[in-house]
Amino acid sequence: MDVTASLLAEAPTPRDASRTDAPRAVGPVARLQGLDVSLERNGVRSQILHGIDLEIGRGEIVGVVGESGSGKSVMSMALLGLLPESSRPRIDGTLEVAGLDLSTASPQEVREARRTRLGVVFQDPMTSLNPTMHVGTQVAEKAGSREEAIRLMRAVGIPQPERRYGCYPHELSGGLRQRVMIAMAVAGDPELVVADEPTTALDVTVQAQVLALLAGMRDQLGCSLVFITHDLGVAAQVADRIVVMYKGRIVETGTTREVLESPRHPYTMGLLGSRLSLDCDRTRPLWALPAEAPGAGGSGSGCAFASRCRFAVEACTTTAPALTVLGDDPRSAHAAACLRAAELAGEASAPVLLPPLPPLAAPDRGAPVVQAADLECTFSVRDERGRRARLAALRGVTFDLQPGESVAIVGESGSGKSTLLRVAGGLERRFTGSLRGPRGTDVQMVFQDAGSSLTPWLTVREVLHERLPGGTPRDVREEKALAILDRVGLPAAVLDALPGELSGGQRQRVALARATIVPPQVLLCDEPTSALDVSVAATVLNLVNELRRDLGIAVMFVTHDLAVARIVGDRIAVMYLGRIVEVGRAEDVIAHPRHPYTRNLVAAVPQPGRTAEPLAGEPASALDPPTGCAFHPRCPVALPECASTVVGVQLAAVGDRPTSDVTLRHEVACVRRGES
Amino acid sequence: MTDVLVPADGRVGAGAGLPAPAGPAPRWRGGARRRSAGTDTTARRALDRTLIGLLLLVTVVAVLAPVLAPYDPVQPVGVPKLAPFADGHVLGTDQIGRDTLSRVLVGLRTSWLLALVVTTVGLLVGTVVGLVAGMAGGWVDAVLMRTTEVFLALPSMLVAVAVAAALGPGLANTFLAVTVVWWPYYARIIRGEVRGIMARPHVEAARMAGVGRLRVMRRHVLPGVVPTAVITASLDVGNVVMVLASLSFLGLGQPAPAPELGSDTSRGLVEILDAWWIPLVPGLVVMLLSLLSNLAGDAVRNRLAHRR
Repeated sequence: MDVTASLLAEAPTPRDASRTDAPRAVGPVARLQGLDVSLERNGVRSQILHGIDLEIGRGEIVGVVGESGSGKSVMSMALLGLLPESSRPRIDGTLEVAGLDLSTASPQEVREARRTRLGVVFQDPMTSLNPTMHVGTQVAEKAGSREEAIRLMRAVGIPQPERRYGCYPHELSGGLRQRVMIAMAVAGDPELVVADEPTTALDVTVQAQVLALLAGMRDQLGCSLVFITHDLGVAAQVADRIVVMYKGRIVETGTTREVLESPRHPYTMGLLGSRLSLDCDRTRPLWALPAEAPGAGGSGSGCAFASRCRFAVEACTTTAPALTVLGDDPRSAHAAACLRAAELAGEASAPVLLPPLPPLAAPDRGAPVVQAADLECTFSVRDERGRRARLAALRGVTFDLQPGESVAIVGESGSGKSTLLRVAGGLERRFTGSLRGPRGTDVQMVFQDAGSSLTPWLTVREVLHERLPGGTPRDVREEKALAILDRVGLPAAVLDALPGELSGGQRQRVALARATIVPPQVLLCDEPTSALDVSVAATVLNLVNELRRDLGIAVMFVTHDLAVARIVGDRIAVMYLGRIVEVGRAEDVIAHPRHPYTRNLVAAVPQPGRTAEPLAGEPASALDPPTGCAFHPRCPVALPECASTVVGVQLAAVGDRPTSDVTLRHEVACVRRGES
Repeated sequence: MTDVLVPADGRVGAGAGLPAPAGPAPRWRGGARRRSAGTDTTARRALDRTLIGLLLLVTVVAVLAPVLAPYDPVQPVGVPKLAPFADGHVLGTDQIGRDTLSRVLVGLRTSWLLALVVTTVGLLVGTVVGLVAGMAGGWVDAVLMRTTEVFLALPSMLVAVAVAAALGPGLANTFLAVTVVWWPYYARIIRGEVRGIMARPHVEAARMAGVGRLRVMRRHVLPGVVPTAVITASLDVGNVVMVLASLSFLGLGQPAPAPELGSDTSRGLVEILDAWWIPLVPGLVVMLLSLLSNLAGDAVRNRLAHRR
């Protein structure tokens, strides 16, 4: 991206000059050796990191990958000397960062190092920026002067930095806020920047921009970057080297290519295998790492991963594997902590293919179960300056859902996809247009955050029982609750659990059980997997598909992730600023996208081995949608008339598919739809 | 990344549509202290348990006061103005020879039990009003909360004095006078809490699951406000003790011979140079009772905060 090039193109500052005069210390920027970290929570001390050996070279980008509970965030905090005092961290082993031994350094020294030699980018810039200070002032705090702050803000691609300098964080979009964070991180020319899930909260197209910016940052400034993420695909976009963590241990490390192309640890293989991509086999259930067996892990002398490992042998439960260099060259970077690493090369890492699903019986093409026409939904809101404004969430959506059919609705934040779902579910009544569909308990919804959609003080039993019609005898309720728990793959013991005692995946299964204990006609899913680890998400997606097939439920599934949409949707509808811009069979939309926006969405999906081509700009504000085709300001192929004309941006069929059957039609709202 | 839209005029969240949630509280009324509960240590737990235990002990003493009192509190039983420990009177006797310890014990009973009843009734009324207002929203909410605010706008101590004076002295009238000015405070806090819970997805999820309105209120909302209600009430009961004692001090409590901490203090005040224990002992008991219930309120809050 050209914005990153400007990091150097700008006039050199005195600091740049000093950098060339006094070369930095040689050797790694961070050295972790036999690092153990234990923290105390509620008076109980537990070891979070076990013997971490890691060197981060100058100018190197290291991607640290792991699921929740892997200890990756604790490691990032340790690198920054930010382990919370309240949890009484105990550090053993070597922890040297930027020439400072963090385990013995005084708080003043650590602070000084953070100010001058370290930088950090957190996941959520809204909570990590001070809401009461201008963003520019916050950058200047670290950069030293207003001029330097503005230079940095321009360098990270913030348009009109002089004007944005005096903005508060809430006045900026998520992408711009993250750029402000990055400007703060690189201020002072740090030796090491730690980025903890910096793109997880961003839209796909913005994520691609930020990834490009972070990678460019290293090229321009020469600083090292530790990039922490749960997604191997994202790490592969930027990292030179990948470190895979499991339960506080490094289980595999190597160059990005080595880890992705010849993973040797079964956990890495599992992460790669359960990762959704745009070319997974849709006809089979997704393979997923098995869940951890109850009571396993933590204690024991063996491999922490043994209970989930499909290659585990007897020795794995007794011998803890050490991180061992693979291959003959002892200087090779590729190492794995697995007793069987040497055997598990090649085909062992091939994805597991489960038996294909039986073909879906051609559903009865009767009347659509949901039929929406010209849905418009406008809210009266306050804009970022507190003025009254009208937010057009839906701007004319026409949409049919056939019985037993599954439609995935894809869009970025602000596209209106969740509003459409809420209108269809009867949760939002302020709309115009016509809507016919089931009402009451015939339409059920599964929410994004199962934790907050289950009442925290009610047991699973009570949640399931209350869904059954009044007057149902208690033993019948119990019987049905047990049956549905079995169907969603939960043990009967879960009946007595409170939501807080369940894992994220289990909670989402309970939510699905509640929605389907009495099978509805339509199941609405609002990003039910976006907060889950990849392996758990895969099992939940399988479950949605299974329930839908077995119970003949029609599904509307909202997601921001095209790979997820492709798995759950017979059809995919792409939304942009309150309108459907493209809709068609999943394979048509993914393989042959016709709308420029869909093409960019497909291109922005992070895939190993492919550099995402970021789409410039951010989604326009729904408070003030552009005239004509709402996408034209970002559209690479826009014609002059796109800005003015309304004619021609309505959905219309393309291609040679029969157009009589709505489920086969491929429709695009673009004046240039005719060209391919 | 959902794009669920929350309309700005939709009044979602705690205390939306109201002035500042806490508002300027009258000086004699501390208001709910909402500072962080801090870290939980073994010493802290022990201290909290001790404080709560002490308050329970006070309650037991209050209930058993007639049995524990060594003498009849309303009959002269000795020489007037006997100093403490003289003649078997641990805390001496008052102007007309009544046993101070017995009067204080029975006075404590009246003050503490009445404070508990006022707090409980105020909390119940406030919870019902707050729950209905918070769940119904719209005009029901508006009417109930504007009414509440009218009560809150009146200086509660003055209203209590006025009500007590109008109804005449007596236990029941004091109770009425204080309760009338006390419930709105709870109603507003509960209503804010209910609005907060209503904005959580689990309420919407319950509605989608076909759960009826009453059951949503009873099982999905009410249990969520209980901790706040208990914390607010336990932090507030000390204030009620003070207000009840103040009314009694002003002569608006029970009529003359009945032992009451406030009135005993005010009537004994003239003797302070002569026989300091007559006004000072009941006054100190009020102070200690109020202090202890405040500290124990903090302790209850800590324990509930760390339980979650």
